[in-house]
Amino acid sequence: MRRNRPIVSILFWTVSSLITLLPIYWMFIVSAKSRVQLFGSPSFLLTSFFTENYINTLRDPAFQRYMINSIVIATSNAVLVTTLALFATYALSRYKLGGKENVFFWTITNRMAPPAVFLLPLFLLYTQVFVLNDAKLFDTRIGLILLYCVFNLPFAIWTLRSVIDGIPKELDEAAYVDGATTWQVLTKVVLPLAKPGLAVTGILTWVFAWNEYLFAATLTSVHARTVTTGLAEFVTVTGTNWGQMAATAMLTLVPALLVLGLVQRHIVAGLTFGAVKE
Amino acid sequence: MRSSTVGWLFLAPTLVILFIFGVLPFLYVLVIGFTQWNSFAADPTMQYNGVENFRRLMFDDQFLYSLWLTLKFGFFAVASQILLGYLLAQLFMRDFPGKGFFRTVHTLPLVIAPIAVGATWRLLLVPGLGPVPYYLNQWFGYELNISRYIDQAFVATVVMDIWHWTPLVTLTLLAALASLPKEPFEQAQIDGANRFQIFWHVTLPLLKPAILATVFIRLMDALRTVDEVWMLTGGGPGAATRYIGLHIWRVVFPKTDYGYGAAMSLITLYLTIVMCWLLYAGLVARRDLKRAE
Amino acid sequence: MADLSELPPEPRRGFLPIHTNGFDRVFIAVVLFVAIHLFWMRFLEASVPLSVGTVLSVIVGAVVIARG
Repeated sequence: MRRNRPIVSILFWTVSSLITLLPIYWMFIVSAKSRVQLFGSPSFLLTSFFTENYINTLRDPAFQRYMINSIVIATSNAVLVTTLALFATYALSRYKLGGKENVFFWTITNRMAPPAVFLLPLFLLYTQVFVLNDAKLFDTRIGLILLYCVFNLPFAIWTLRSVIDGIPKELDEAAYVDGATTWQVLTKVVLPLAKPGLAVTGILTWVFAWNEYLFAATLTSVHARTVTTGLAEFVTVTGTNWGQMAATAMLTLVPALLVLGLVQRHIVAGLTFGAVKE
Repeated sequence: MRSSTVGWLFLAPTLVILFIFGVLPFLYVLVIGFTQWNSFAADPTMQYNGVENFRRLMFDDQFLYSLWLTLKFGFFAVASQILLGYLLAQLFMRDFPGKGFFRTVHTLPLVIAPIAVGATWRLLLVPGLGPVPYYLNQWFGYELNISRYIDQAFVATVVMDIWHWTPLVTLTLLAALASLPKEPFEQAQIDGANRFQIFWHVTLPLLKPAILATVFIRLMDALRTVDEVWMLTGGGPGAATRYIGLHIWRVVFPKTDYGYGAAMSLITLYLTIVMCWLLYAGLVARRDLKRAE
Repeated sequence: MADLSELPPEPRRGFLPIHTNGFDRVFIAVVLFVAIHLFWMRFLEASVPLSVGTVLSVIVGAVVIARG
């Protein structure tokens, strides 16, 4: 039925890839030009690399703080989520628990809910309810780390479920016969075999946490601001310093570019709650 | 099977976190929605006031307009993504050299932070800097200014969403296409069906569960879009692209009218759930859910 | 359409166009309850008090749960 003309396919996909890459390439161009060079007709050619935009951004103490916050929050969240999801999926896979399938499906509703709906109650909870003496969750890293679990945990559980289910139960049983404890079975038998799956889950949760903006913008004010909020502030505060804004945005999307190759195969299953497997 | 107590202990941390940060905020907003609570008002304490917030909302033109805009945005974005995504998925079904590379490039927008997507498109479209308005003007004499013309701003947000999310549709439909059985197609060809007939009577019915599932996931995402639009247009010009998430965030928060904002959040959640359920019912009613997986 | 014999026994077919179980019908009843109230406040409350809408939606809900 299908006539195979690879050259047509290749041409088509080259054009399509150019459309995908063009906006990002243009941003890179803007980030590598000075204000003066940006005047006049837009040029996609880069004659010299203007590094000052990047240097200014990286030297900015506020941006450094945002960067550290983002790294700490995303990494802690990824570690926490992956660990808890491993426990949870192990329980769901190996134990007979009444209503566990309902629990499994319930977790996903947390991810489907529109974040804007939860902004207001979370803001009020963080500023007025979850208060111990003078300590609040508002504007703390731990507040964001725990909150990001709400959308990352369901994702991780749904991704890891098939991984853990795929590890033969006979291995557990054999270890139990040899006198291993539950903890030993989990760490010595299941964990090594689940490593690739855990790595992918960890990387994707890290990226999701890094990318998050709305909660970070609402639930922090000074101390726990992340890179994404820094980027948004750039537009509202400095307005038209396009070069530096582009440099900041480039730095924001670098991690995504780095991990793309690693997680490319899993991203769709992840974003569709495992409904689509490749 | 082992003792269930240990199993529940393993699940406990997950359930506790999801309860505190997922369920509790929901219950809290449910309570606040039925109260009058405004920290700037004469009486800044929480007062029960029944359905008053919801009554006000039903006559709040800004809110209703924002809902309508959101639906319009969701419809245009998702419909274009499904059409385009299907076409691209069909093109990925063929074998050609470099397929893996093109696929990776195609996946790229999915992992980029939405806020950076917004920044990218702003740089592309902003007048005086972006190449798009410049060349449209040079070549066609068309004036593109998304901070000035309502329709252009709306289209710009839709195009940005298409750029950002079509890859997801492509890859889901590709997975579905690859898993279709071969026999119906061979049978149809033997029966002498033309390409359109095969598409209409064989491919489309077989693909329907996957398409519905994709529409479901994409629509939910489109209705919660905030970051990119905030970055690209800031909700403007005027309120032309102030979709519901942005509306709650940008209008309710500064006013500190918590009761009213909570009611608004609740109605948004209600509409989301109803739409979710309608699509889900559409899936289950045909008993096709299994094949979608 | 589908042959009914394959379906699990619990979901059934009432006047609603889809197969529903108990949870589905309660859910539909709640959704309708809210929808009726919202539309009532917008269009009818000027002439008919909201409590009439409440009674009406309770009746609709009961019918859906019993026969849907």
